[in-house]
Amino acid sequence: MRNYLIRRIISVLPVLFFVSLLSFAVIWIIPGDPTAAFLDASATPEQVEALRDNLGLNKPPLLQVTEWYGQVLTGNLGQSILMRTPVLTAILERLPLTLTLAAMALVLAVLLGVAAGVFAATRRGTWADQTVMTLALLGLSVPDFWLGLLLIVVFAVQLGWFPSGGYVPFMQDPAAWLSSMVLPTLTLAVVQIGFIARMTRSAMLDVINQDFIRTAHAKGLSELYVVTRHGLPNAMMPILTVTGIIAGALLGSAVVVEQVFALPGVGRLIIGAILSRDYPLIQGGLLFLTLIYLLINLGVDLLYAAVDPRVRLE
Amino acid sequence: MNMKKLSLGLAMGLMASIAIVPAAFAQTPGGEIIIASVQGPPSLDAHVTNAQVARNITLHVYETLYARNENGDAVPDLAESVTVSEDGKTYNFKLREGVKFHNGKEMTSEDVVASIERYRDIGVSKTLVAAVDTVAADGPYNVVITLKEPQSVFLDNISSPRAPLAIYPAEEAAKGANEIDYIGTGPFKFVEYIPDSHVTLEKFADYVPNPAYTERDGLAGKKEVLIDKVTFRFIPEAGARTAALESGAVQIVETVDGPTAERLRADPKYIIHDVLPFAFQVIKFNHALAPTDDVNFRKAVQAALDMEEIMEISYADINQVDGGWVFPNSPFATSAGIDQYNVADLEAAKAFLDQSAYNGETVTFITDNLRPNVDVATVVQSRLEAIGVKMDISVADWPTTSKIGFTPNGWNFWTHGFGIEPFEGPGTVMSAWVGGSGQMVPDPEIDRIAGEFNAALTDDAKKALFTEFQQRMFDNMVAIKAGNYGLFQVTNDKVENFVSFRIPRMWGVTLAQ
Repeated sequence: MRNYLIRRIISVLPVLFFVSLLSFAVIWIIPGDPTAAFLDASATPEQVEALRDNLGLNKPPLLQVTEWYGQVLTGNLGQSILMRTPVLTAILERLPLTLTLAAMALVLAVLLGVAAGVFAATRRGTWADQTVMTLALLGLSVPDFWLGLLLIVVFAVQLGWFPSGGYVPFMQDPAAWLSSMVLPTLTLAVVQIGFIARMTRSAMLDVINQDFIRTAHAKGLSELYVVTRHGLPNAMMPILTVTGIIAGALLGSAVVVEQVFALPGVGRLIIGAILSRDYPLIQGGLLFLTLIYLLINLGVDLLYAAVDPRVRLE
Repeated sequence: MNMKKLSLGLAMGLMASIAIVPAAFAQTPGGEIIIASVQGPPSLDAHVTNAQVARNITLHVYETLYARNENGDAVPDLAESVTVSEDGKTYNFKLREGVKFHNGKEMTSEDVVASIERYRDIGVSKTLVAAVDTVAADGPYNVVITLKEPQSVFLDNISSPRAPLAIYPAEEAAKGANEIDYIGTGPFKFVEYIPDSHVTLEKFADYVPNPAYTERDGLAGKKEVLIDKVTFRFIPEAGARTAALESGAVQIVETVDGPTAERLRADPKYIIHDVLPFAFQVIKFNHALAPTDDVNFRKAVQAALDMEEIMEISYADINQVDGGWVFPNSPFATSAGIDQYNVADLEAAKAFLDQSAYNGETVTFITDNLRPNVDVATVVQSRLEAIGVKMDISVADWPTTSKIGFTPNGWNFWTHGFGIEPFEGPGTVMSAWVGGSGQMVPDPEIDRIAGEFNAALTDDAKKALFTEFQQRMFDNMVAIKAGNYGLFQVTNDKVENFVSFRIPRMWGVTLAQ
C-alpha cells in the first residue's frame, strides 16, 4: 500500500510537467498577448509594442519557459500580469470557493442520484422507474448555463428567495454565504444527479438479479435491508468510478457556473486569464487544476480498496 | 418510496430554511449604488490602458488638467486656466489651489510635472503628448509646457479620456506601469479591487468641487457626490446582469441588448437611457494585401453595401445610418463624399469590381466574437457573394483578432467600433488613419491633411481640412463607416438625477431611500 502510494505520487510529476508544457505550447500558438486587455481598437502597433516592453513581455519564449520552470521548482508560480499579485495567492484565495461549490454539488448529486437510481432499479419497468429515468435524462441533457439562468429568473427575480449572483464569504456572514451558494450548487448538481441516477440503476439491476439477493429475500429479510446491506454495497464500484469522474468534471462545470453567478472562483479566474492572456496565471491555474484532478483520481483508487476488500493496491 | 420522500423533504427543507436569508446583493440603505459591468478593468492605472471598462471607473478616481465637457470640448478641470504664448508653443497652466489627493496631500505643480513625464514615458497613448518639448514647474501652482511646434489640438489631447493623463501624486508617478497605488484627486476614492468580482469606490470626503462650475458637465463641471459608495460588480453573463437588476441586486446596468431594453422599457420600475450616437461601426480594409489594396475593389464593396441592413441587424433599434466621419451634431459635420455612402447598388458594385484586379480569390474578414461585429461580417459576406466575391469570416476572441488586425498580414476586412475617437473629435478620428495605422499602408493625402489640421489655428481652417479628409476617405475608400450605434444604459427607479453619458457618472446622482 505504501509503495503503491509513493509510486502514484511520483507518477504525478511527469503528468504535471507535460500538462504545463502543453499549456505553454497552446498559449504560444494562440495569437494575442496581455496588451490586448489594456488596449482597444484605437491602439496603434507602436503603442502595443511599447506596452509589451513596459509589461516585460518581450523576453524570448524559451527564456520565459525555463524561467518559469525554475520558479516553480522553488514553489513560486510567478506574478499575475494583470492582477499584480502572486499567482499562488490568487489561486489559493479562490480555491476554497471552487472546492466548496464542487463538494456541495457532489454530495447533493451522490445523495439524490443514488437514491433515485436505487428507487428506479427496485421498481424496474414500472411508471415510477420510467418517470425517474426520464427526469434523470432531462437533468443530464440540460445545459448548465441555461439551467443557471432559469434558476436565477425563478428563484432570484420572481420569488426573490436567493441572490441572483455574487458571493459572500462564510466568515463574513454564514447565512448569506449559504444563500449565495444554493443556486450555483443546484445548477452544478442537476446534471450529475441524472448521471449518477442512471449509473446506479444500471449497477443495481446487475446486482439484484443475482443469486445472493434472491437468497437474502428467501431468508425473509426486508426489502430495505436487502437493498441497503446487500444490493448497494455490491453495486458501489461502478458508482464510485462515476463519482470520481464527476468530481473532476465538476471542476470543469464550475467554470461555467462561476461565470453565470459571478462567483470569484478558480474557474472564473482562469477564464479571465485566458481571455486576457495572463500567461503566468493560466499556467499556474492549469497546473493547480491538474494537480487536483490527479489527486481526486488517486483518492478514488484508494477508495476502491476501502469499499471492496477484493481490491488490493500494490 | 421512503428514500424519495426523505430526499425531497431534505431538499425542500434546505430551500425553505435558506430562503429567508436576505439576498447577497441586497441594496444597502444610505447610499450605495451597485453597477453591473460586463467585465473588470485590466488595470486601474489610468495611464496604461485605454479600455472602456477601465475609464468607466478611473474617471471617478482621477482627474486631468483639462477634461471634456458634455459636447466633447476641452475645459479646465484641475487647472484653473491656461495662457498660451503668441507663437502657440508655450502653455502656462495655473493650477487650482487646495485640491487634495486621496492620501491627504495637496496637489502641486510637482505632481503635475511628474505625472506628465510619466505619461510621456509609459502612457499608452503617449502620442497625445508627442509634441511636448519640456514640462516644468513654475512655483507650486504653475506648470509651463513648451511644445516643439504649435499644436492646435494640444488641449484636446491632454483632456482625452481615452487613456486619461491623470494627475497622480509625484511619488506614485515615479512607479512603473501598473504598479501604482490608486490615489487621485477625483470625487471618489479607491477602496477595493477584487479582479474577478468588483471594484468599490467611496465618496472622497475632502473633495472640493471645482468652484468655476455650477452644474455637471461631461467629465468636467461640478462633481458633487451625493452617495456614500459605488461598486462596479463584474457580471459577464448578459442574462445574469439583467436578472441582477430585476432582483434589485444592482441599480444600474451599463448596457443591455435591444430586446431586453424594449422589455424593461415597458416596466415603470426601470428607466432606459438611449446613448446614441455612442460609436462608429467601422469596416477597415487592409491596403497591404490583395485585393483590398485595390481602390476599385474597395469601392465595389462600398457600393454593394446596404448600410441600413447592416446597422439594423447588428444594432437593432439603436443606430443611425450616417456616413460622416464625425457625429451628425458636430460642427465639423459635412456632406463631402456622402454620395458614395449607402449606395446599395449591386450593378454599380460589379462595375467597380470589373475595373479591379480581383480574380476570384477568397478574402478574409476578421472579427472578434462580439455579436454585432459578427453580424456585420455576415451581412457583408452575403452582399459580396451577390457580386461574386468569396469571403471567409474568421471569428476569434479580442486578443487574437487584434493581434492579427494590428499586422499587415492575415486579413482583408476587420470590423469594430470606434467609440472614443468621434467623441474626442475630428483630430482623433483622423489620427486613426495617419501613417497607415488603421489601413496598414500610409495614405500621403491623409497624412498631409492631418498634419495641417494639427497645426491649423482657426476653426474655419480646421473645418475646411476636415471636409478634405472626409472626401479623401471616400475617394480613396480608406475604410468604410457603416453607421453610428448606441447603447442602452438602464437604471432602476431608485436612482435619481442620473444623466447618461459615455461613462456612468456617479457624481450628482442620488439614491431614493
